[in-house]
Amino acid sequence: MPDNWSYVFGAYGLAAAVLLVYWRRLAARARSLHGRDPGKRA
Amino acid sequence: MSAYVRRAWIVVWKDVLSERRSKESLNALVFFSLLLLFVFQFALGPDRARVETALPGLLWLAFILAGLLAFGRTFLVERENDCWEGLVLAPGDRSAIYLGKLAGNVLLMAVVEAALLILFALFFGLDFTAALPALVLVLALGTLGLAAVGTLYGALTAQLRARELLFPVLLLPAVVPVLLGAVTATQSVLAGQPLAEAMPWLTLLAAADVVYLVVGMLTFEFVLEG
Amino acid sequence: MAARILGWLALVALLAGLGAAFGYAPREAVQGNVQRIVYLHVPAVLTAYLAFALVFVGSLGYLLTRRPGWDRLALSAAEPGVVFTGITIASGSIWGKPTWGTWWTWDARLTSTAVLFLVYVGYLLLRGMIDEPDRRARAAAVVGILGAANIPIVHFSVSWWRALHQPSAMIGPGSAPYPWWMKAVILLNFAAFALLLGYFVARRAEIARLEDMHAG
Repeated sequence: MPDNWSYVFGAYGLAAAVLLVYWRRLAARARSLHGRDPGKRA
Repeated sequence: MSAYVRRAWIVVWKDVLSERRSKESLNALVFFSLLLLFVFQFALGPDRARVETALPGLLWLAFILAGLLAFGRTFLVERENDCWEGLVLAPGDRSAIYLGKLAGNVLLMAVVEAALLILFALFFGLDFTAALPALVLVLALGTLGLAAVGTLYGALTAQLRARELLFPVLLLPAVVPVLLGAVTATQSVLAGQPLAEAMPWLTLLAAADVVYLVVGMLTFEFVLEG
Repeated sequence: MAARILGWLALVALLAGLGAAFGYAPREAVQGNVQRIVYLHVPAVLTAYLAFALVFVGSLGYLLTRRPGWDRLALSAAEPGVVFTGITIASGSIWGKPTWGTWWTWDARLTSTAVLFLVYVGYLLLRGMIDEPDRRARAAAVVGILGAANIPIVHFSVSWWRALHQPSAMIGPGSAPYPWWMKAVILLNFAAFALLLGYFVARRAEIARLEDMHAG
């Protein structure tokens, strides 16, 4: 069977993209919460 | 022990009595079953062979759809008549209420399923008599599973404004094993195979029923608060 | 603080896992290099199971103690759990296209993972519909507990159902037992994903804690 590297990169790329998006969503939410209380430490 | 059983029995009896007087749920559900029959026929087309091949799936599809309606209304009476607090404040083990409601739902579904079998036999010219005892067993195990989760989630979503949306969304994925097991067992039974063929599936159904019942009984009191 | 450590550990482990998946693991004989997707697909589903086990623990913890921290654990594990479940399904489907010829074939693992996905998306939808914290936590806990209890039941029912309708053995996701080195690379990637899960749970729980504090 041919190697189908495009599928491999597609799968890994998609996973990486999804995880990255979720991570950034968390970071953005955390930032907005900390913004509300500038004196708070993480 | 007997006080517990009595408590559950009171719940069943109350629901059965009020249903016998008004017959609102029962009539509507049986009529709904009739409608489903027509919908299935129109969806599948005039080829009788297609309907016969799809029959086990169609039966359980009909049971689930009717169940969605029936179980969603489990606590409708209490909700609409401001009796919710009455349930919440009832003394003693609240799981008795769960069992009572469950029994009521199973009874209701039994009538609906019997009606559906008769309607299917009439309209599609089918003969269930040979398979009947085994079929009843499959129906019982499957319905118990559907009702166990349906009663629990029915109570859970009773107070929510998005009840009509959330109840099916929660119930359907949860009863996938029941659907798979019941349809496969029904297929085997209707094909005239000996019960031993369907036994693994019946065992799976029974095991699932036990799990759902136990979870339902243990968690019901947490659903019923406030 | 704990989150940051987990995050860095996860990053290191992920890079190691990638290296193993593409560098160490050899090209598979029958499927070719597309088989490397297994090092994403299987660790992802294992991590999803881990996440939903955490949801179960959090749900149980809340019902038994009524401490909000347990509910926050449940929520914080459910979100990334759904993410990893989605990754499992997507990677399985992408793997299936060149090997089976179609994007979807109701394969046992894909199907039961899809059911899992539906259960826990429902969990998150339910949470979104209830504002009052205690009611939300209790309702979610019940769904979380039943959902977890159902996982093995779903798994068995789908496998048996699939075995009935299975055509001849298909090469692709879910076929053939794994040799030891494949298991090792899978395990390494699973450890990396587990660390990543821990990082997500820690951060999500912190966000939830801050939100509770602001609300209360």
